[in-house]
Amino acid sequence: MARLKIEPDIQFIKELQEAGGESLKKCYQCATCSVICPLSPEENPFPRKEMIWAQWGLKDKLVNDIDIWLCHNCGECSDLCPRGASPGDVLAALRNMAYRSLAKPAILGKWLSSARYLPILFGIPALLYLIIWGFTTGLTIPAGTIEFGKVFPGDYTIDPVFGLVAIFVLFTFASAIGNLFNSFKSSGYVPKEDAPSFWKCLIDIVKEEIITHSKFQKCSSNAERYQGHLLLFYGFVALLIVTSIVAVGHWGGKLIGHQLHTPLSLLNPIKWLANIGAILLIAGLVLITRMRLNTDPAKSVSSYYDWYLLGVIWAVGLTGIGSEVLRLANVPGLAYPVYYLHLVFVFMLIAYLPWTKLAHLVYRTVALAYARQIGRKGLDE
Amino acid sequence: MADRKIGVYICTGCDIGNKVDIEKVKEYIDDECSPAIIKELPFLCGQAGLEEIKKDIENEGINGVCIAGCSPRVNWDVFDFGPEVVVERANIRELAVWSYKEPDLPPYEETELEADPLTMMVQDYIKMAVAKLEKIEVPEPEIPEIAKTILVVGGGFTGLNASLDAAKAGYDVVLVEKEAELGGFAAKMYKRTPSTYPFTATEENDIAQLISAVQDNDKIKVLTSAQIEKISGAPGTYEVKVKVGEEEQNLKIGAIILATGWKPYDASKLSDLGYGKIKNVVTNVEFEALAKEGIKRPSDGAAVKSVAFIQCAGQRDPEHLPYCSSICCLVSLKQANYVRELSEDAKAYIFYKDMRTTGIFENYYKSAQDDPGIFLTKAEIEEIVEDGDQVIVRVKDTLLGEDLEVKVDMVVLATGMVPTTLEEAKLEFELKQQASGEEEEKKEEEEGGEDPRLAKLREISCLKLDYRQGPTFPDLMLFDGFADSNYICFPYETRRTGIYAAGCVRQPMGLVAAKEDATGAALKAIQCIESANRGVAVHPRSGDMSYPKFNFTRCTQCKRCTEECPFGALDDDEKGTPKPNPTRCRRCGTCMGACPERVISFDNYSITMINDMITSIQVPEDEEEGGYRFLVLCCENDAYPALDMAALRGKKWSAYVRFVPVRCLGSVNTQWIAEAMSKGIDGVLLLGCKYGDDYQCHFMKGSELCNRRMDNISETLAKLQVEAERVKQVEVAIDDYDKIPEIIDQFVEEIEGFGPNPFKGF
Repeated sequence: MARLKIEPDIQFIKELQEAGGESLKKCYQCATCSVICPLSPEENPFPRKEMIWAQWGLKDKLVNDIDIWLCHNCGECSDLCPRGASPGDVLAALRNMAYRSLAKPAILGKWLSSARYLPILFGIPALLYLIIWGFTTGLTIPAGTIEFGKVFPGDYTIDPVFGLVAIFVLFTFASAIGNLFNSFKSSGYVPKEDAPSFWKCLIDIVKEEIITHSKFQKCSSNAERYQGHLLLFYGFVALLIVTSIVAVGHWGGKLIGHQLHTPLSLLNPIKWLANIGAILLIAGLVLITRMRLNTDPAKSVSSYYDWYLLGVIWAVGLTGIGSEVLRLANVPGLAYPVYYLHLVFVFMLIAYLPWTKLAHLVYRTVALAYARQIGRKGLDE
Repeated sequence: MADRKIGVYICTGCDIGNKVDIEKVKEYIDDECSPAIIKELPFLCGQAGLEEIKKDIENEGINGVCIAGCSPRVNWDVFDFGPEVVVERANIRELAVWSYKEPDLPPYEETELEADPLTMMVQDYIKMAVAKLEKIEVPEPEIPEIAKTILVVGGGFTGLNASLDAAKAGYDVVLVEKEAELGGFAAKMYKRTPSTYPFTATEENDIAQLISAVQDNDKIKVLTSAQIEKISGAPGTYEVKVKVGEEEQNLKIGAIILATGWKPYDASKLSDLGYGKIKNVVTNVEFEALAKEGIKRPSDGAAVKSVAFIQCAGQRDPEHLPYCSSICCLVSLKQANYVRELSEDAKAYIFYKDMRTTGIFENYYKSAQDDPGIFLTKAEIEEIVEDGDQVIVRVKDTLLGEDLEVKVDMVVLATGMVPTTLEEAKLEFELKQQASGEEEEKKEEEEGGEDPRLAKLREISCLKLDYRQGPTFPDLMLFDGFADSNYICFPYETRRTGIYAAGCVRQPMGLVAAKEDATGAALKAIQCIESANRGVAVHPRSGDMSYPKFNFTRCTQCKRCTEECPFGALDDDEKGTPKPNPTRCRRCGTCMGACPERVISFDNYSITMINDMITSIQVPEDEEEGGYRFLVLCCENDAYPALDMAALRGKKWSAYVRFVPVRCLGSVNTQWIAEAMSKGIDGVLLLGCKYGDDYQCHFMKGSELCNRRMDNISETLAKLQVEAERVKQVEVAIDDYDKIPEIIDQFVEEIEGFGPNPFKGF
C-alpha cells in the first residue's frame, strides 16, 4: 500500500466541527459504531474510519467518501458511543460540508451554512415578490373574492420565476452529480465490467429502498425518525403530484383550449390529494421536530442544516395551509400577505435546494445507486 | 514455665457440643495434662462464658487460658485477658468439627481405641494447646534508647512531600539532597500534569511553593550538596554519617525514607530512532527543558510548527526497558499542549503502542484529544530520517489503516524512568550469582582480600548500609532495579526494616502518585519508630513483642542464620557469632528454622514447643483401627486463613490430619519433621506461600528456604528407607480455600498408598 503523506488540515477540522461534528475529536477508535451499524459494509466499514480521518483532518479522503451517503443517520452509533463522539453527527456534518461544496456557486454554500446569512436568503425572494406585488396591485389588497392570481398572476410571475429556478437547480445538480461521480471514482470505487448499469441500479434503489424506506427501517433504534421521514416524504410526493397536475392542466390545457383553473374546488379529488399531502407534511414535521428536541444533547446535537430545512418546511407548510384557510374564511387582509410569505418560503426551499440538507434527495439517491453498482452494501443486506 | 496455672475452657457452641463427646475429652485432658481447671461452657464468647473465665483468673490465679472453640483468627479481641494472662486457642471448630469427614473405620467400641475419631481429634488439639501453654513465656523486650528523627534521602518532589508530611505529624526530619538545590526533576519541569479535579488541564509548576514550605518548616533540617557516607545500626538507633560539602555530620535517626527517585533512560541507545544522529530528535526530558526556555528548533533555532512524539521509546521492549514507565503518555500529552501553545496551527502528533492514562487521568487524555491540533494514533515506528532541518517519521500499523509519513520540525522520544537503585541492584545481583555459582573461587577471593566489586557496591549504593548482608537491598533485580518489595501487599516496605521507599525509586509514577507514596512512606516510618520504642515488630507481625533469643553457648558460628535472614536483621562478629538487632527483626522465625543446633527460640514460639505439640498427637498403632496420622505445618498468613475459610464454607477433608500453624514456613526446623516421623506420623505436609521470583511469601524468602531444607530432608529420609514423598510442600494462596480439601486428601491418599510409616510403634 502506498504510504500516506499526512498534512492535517486544522482549518478543515474546525469547519467540520462547526458544521455539526463538534464531538469528532473524542473518538478513540474502539469501533463500536461500525460494529452495531446495520448499514455499514464489511470492507472498510463506516463510520469508524471517517472518525479518524476527521480527527486527522484528511479532507481529501472525506470529501470523496461515498460512505457518508450510505449512512441514514439513525443515531444508534452515537447512542452507543462510549466516548460521546457522536459518529452519526460527524457523518451528518460531513454531508453538510458536501452540501456546501459540491454545488456551485460557492457563495450560496456559504450563505446556507450559517444563520448569519438568513436575511440575504430571505431577502432575495421577499424583495422579488414585493416588487411583483408593487407592479400588480401597488402593494394593496385587491377587492372581491380572494384569488391569489390577482396579486401574483401565475402565468407571468409565479411560473416563469419558478421555471427559471427549476432550470437553475437542475443545472446545478447536474454539475454537482458530475463532481460526485468523479470523487467516488478518485477514491478508487469503479464499477466492475459485469456490473449492472447505473440506471438499472437507480431504478432498483427507488423501487426497493426509497419508496419503502427499507434502509431507514433497519435503524430500529429510531422509529420516530423513520415514521416522520416517511410521512414527510409522502407528503412531498403528494404535493409534487398536485403541482404537476396543476401545471400540466394549466399549460397543457392552454394548448387544447380546456384549462384547469385554480383555486380548485374542495370537492375536486386533486384538492383532496393536496390537502392530504399538507396533513402528511405537518404530521411528519411534528414527529421529526419532537424527535430532534428530545434527543439527549450528550448523544447527538442537531446542526444548523437540520434546523434550516425543518424551519423552511414548517414555514412552507404553515403558510400554505394558512393561505388556504384564510382564503376560505375570506379574510383578504391576511390571506394575501400569508400567501406572499408562502411564495417566499417555497422559493427558499427550492431555489437553494442544492446547498441545503434537502439536496440529499439527489446526492444520496445517486450515491446509493452507485454503491449498488459497485456492490458496496451493508452487512445486513 | 514453673508457675503457669492453666485453665482449659471448652466451648460447646457452634455445633461442637453436638458432635464431640465432651466428657471423654475432659477426662482425657485431665489425665494427660492435669490443668488446674477444666470446664465446658455453652458459649465461651458470650457474657457468661467470659465472666466465668475472668472469675477463675481472679479467684484461682489462672494465668494460662486454653480456649477450645473457634479459630484464633476470630474473637481474638474477646479472649484477651490482659498482658499477664497467656491465651492459647485450640481450633476445634473450623479444623475439627466443621471440616470433619467421617473416615471409613470400624466402630471404635470394637477396637482398642477409647474414643471416636472426632473426639480424638479434639483431644489432640486441646492437648497441643496446653503443651504450648506450658512452655510459653511472656516476652519482655529490651527497649533501646530511640531516636525519633526521620531521615529523608532525596530532595525531589517525593522527598519534599514526605518531609513535610512527617514534620506535620510532629516528627523531626533531616532531608538530605545531593544536589545544591531542592526540587529534583520536578523543578526542571515547565508545567505539570493535572493534580486536581477534573484532571483535564495542564497546571503551573508549583514546586517553588513546596520547596519554601519545606525550607520554612522548623522541624525539617535541610542538607543540600550532601551525601550519605554510611548508615549503621537499626530502626530507632540508626547512626547516619552524612558529608555536607566538606564537613561530616553524624545523625541519630529513627527511620529512613528512600526517595532518591529516577534517572532518564540512556537515550544514546536509541540511535535507531534518530537520537544522537539527528539534532532535532530529543528526549522528553530534554524537551521539558526546552519548553522552560521557549521551544526553538535545535538545529537552527527556528520556530517549531510541528512535533512528533514517539511513545514507549526504549520501553516495553526486551532490548531496552522491559516495563512501562506509566507516566510518559501523560507527559507527551502535556508536551503536546506546549506545542499547541506555540501557534494556532501548530501540530503535535503522538504515535503510541497503547495510550496508558490510568484512572482519572483518562480525563486529561480526553481533553488533549479534543484539541484539533493534536493527532493521535497507534503505530509502529518504521524509520525516522533527517530532511534538511526537518525530520520525516514513517510509521505502520496505524489506526488509519494505512502506513503514514509525517514531516515535522522535531521528534520527541518518550523515554522511560530508571530507578536510582538500578546500578547497585545489578551489581548486587552479579555478586550473588557468583557467590552461589562459584563457591571455590569465592574462597580464593576471600583469601586474597575483598572483591573490589563489593567496594564499588558500597560506593554506588544510595544508602551505604553497614549491614552484614551488604550495603544495599537484596534482590532488587526482581523489580527491574526498583526498590520495591511486594507490590499490593506491602507498598513502601523494603527488605530492610525501618527503610521505606517512596516515589519513582519504588515504581515509575507521576506526581500525584508520588505525593501519595510520600505520605504512605512517612506513615510507615512513623509506625516503625512508634513500634521500635515499644519493643514490638512493625510489619507484617505488627505489635508482636517476641524476639528470637540466642543460646550462644551452643552456637557453632555456622552463619546460616545471618545469611538466611531475609531482612538482614543479624550482623555478626569476626568469629561469626550472630549479633541481634531486635528492631530490624520481623519475627518470622526463619533463623529458628535455619539453625542446625536449635539455639534460636522465641518466648512464645520455639522448637521444643512445636515438638511438644507434635508429641501430643495420638498415633493409633494399628492404622486399620484408628487410621493414619498426618501433620500439616501451615503458614499462619495465607494457608491457615484459607483452611478457616474452607471450613466455614462447609468443605471437609480427611480426619487423619492435624494442623500446626507456623509463623512462616521459613521457621520450620527439620527437627520437627524428624520428630513427627520418629513418632510414627505417616506424612508431613507443609502448606505455605508461593515462592520464586513472583513470591507471595510474607517474609519474602521463608517458603523458598523451607523448600530448600525439605530437599535435604528427603535425602535423609531416603537413607532411612523412608519414602521421600512422605514430606511434601505445597504452595497455596489465601484464596485457594476451594482447593485445600483436595490438596489434603490427595496427599493422604498418596501416602496411604505407601502404607504406614515403618517407624510406627517404635
